[in-house]
Amino acid sequence: MDERKVQILMDSLLPLLKAAVAFTVPLTLTSFALGLVLAVITALVRLSHWRIGRLVARFYVWIIRGTPLLLQLFIIFFGLPSIGIILDPFIASVIGFSLSVGAYGSEIVRAAIQSISAGQWEAAYSIGMTRSQALRRIILPQAARVSVPPLANAFISLVKDTSLAASITYVEMFRTAQEIVAITFEPLLLYSEAGVLYLMLSTLLSGLQNFLERRLSRYTTR
Amino acid sequence: MIEVQNLHKSFGAQKVLRGIDLRLDKGKVLVIIGPSGSGKTTLLRCFNLLEQPDIGTLRVGEIVLDFKEGFKPKQEQILKLRKQSGMVFQAYHLFPHMTAAGNVMEGLITVQKKNKAEARRVSLELLERVGLGNKADSYPHMLSGGQQQRVGIARAMAVNPEVLLFDEPTSALDPELVGEVLRVMKSLASSGMTMIVVTHEMKFAAEVADRIILMDSGRIIEEGSPQEVFQNPKSPRAAQFLNILTENK
Repeated sequence: MDERKVQILMDSLLPLLKAAVAFTVPLTLTSFALGLVLAVITALVRLSHWRIGRLVARFYVWIIRGTPLLLQLFIIFFGLPSIGIILDPFIASVIGFSLSVGAYGSEIVRAAIQSISAGQWEAAYSIGMTRSQALRRIILPQAARVSVPPLANAFISLVKDTSLAASITYVEMFRTAQEIVAITFEPLLLYSEAGVLYLMLSTLLSGLQNFLERRLSRYTTR
Repeated sequence: MIEVQNLHKSFGAQKVLRGIDLRLDKGKVLVIIGPSGSGKTTLLRCFNLLEQPDIGTLRVGEIVLDFKEGFKPKQEQILKLRKQSGMVFQAYHLFPHMTAAGNVMEGLITVQKKNKAEARRVSLELLERVGLGNKADSYPHMLSGGQQQRVGIARAMAVNPEVLLFDEPTSALDPELVGEVLRVMKSLASSGMTMIVVTHEMKFAAEVADRIILMDSGRIIEEGSPQEVFQNPKSPRAAQFLNILTENK
């Protein structure tokens, strides 16, 4: 590799890392945290006896799963201003990604809750618990363990999906790479470099998943 | 005191209970036997409303509920009634993410709002009583079936119920583990606990029951002391069922 390319690699590393730490990671964490809350709420509503709530929850999941994420981001960022809602790129991205995590995550959480045997509910009821006590104390802690691997999947997907925010002017890692390419005309080099950094981020997250699974497997379910 | 009058329950078109009447005084042990599908487990589950009767009167301790068409008990009535009883399940249904002591403490802390130290003290006492004082901090998967079921009994007793309900408590156990669970149940019975037990353990029934009812197709077809039911069954169907049981021994 010639010296110029090595120099470009070295020079771009810091801006890319900065963009990852200052923009990609915060966007991912905020969106995942909010999305997870949304996922649990949506799952609980779908499992409740509240008809209208169930309908709304299903509608929400249907819309989000049935349309492209990129299109959703465009509607939020470029579409909403025409009805007077102007959002900053970070906020628009967080809304878009949270809604997405919420919809896909709700199916994970719902499946995890339903995987806990009816006997656990009955045992909880038999000692006098209400439905919400049983959920909070007995069902959700067990469902959490079941849902770690699929939720980790969603988390890792999200890290990579945040690159879509580049298209609504949020300057995260991918957009930073694009900008450097525009100056240096070295697309192969820069996009590969960004790729390696994404790979490092997701590897870190897989490690976190392993740690969580180990922590939660102090007991085994049947 | 426990009492049901004219209890009916259907699952869809299938009539599972067709008019059950019975009464059990405090401190007595009632054993329910009968072929599978006779409705005995459903009847037991009506006592803590894991199943809701369609028609009939249900009384557990001071709580009386009158079921008829269009009646749905309020959440607080259900909770009140459930606080009168503890249940032991065939498949134990221990909470796998909690230790033995944690399982027993759960009702005390979450339902009765006792503080942790007090709950822990009570749970250790109860575990001691079922012979598991040294297993307090073990998780269910580390215990044998018999030990798990004894934790199940301690958990059911923790909320200090009027009556303990046992749903085939030894049916899932390896034969050599049945004895330890039955021994605990016997000692509870002799300490004056009111108990309703669905079981196929005829020897236990004969020794411990104050009264036995034999169910078939949703009805009580034989009722009395163990002596009366086992020695002189009045109906041919009861005699036939008891015969099959003794042949299988």
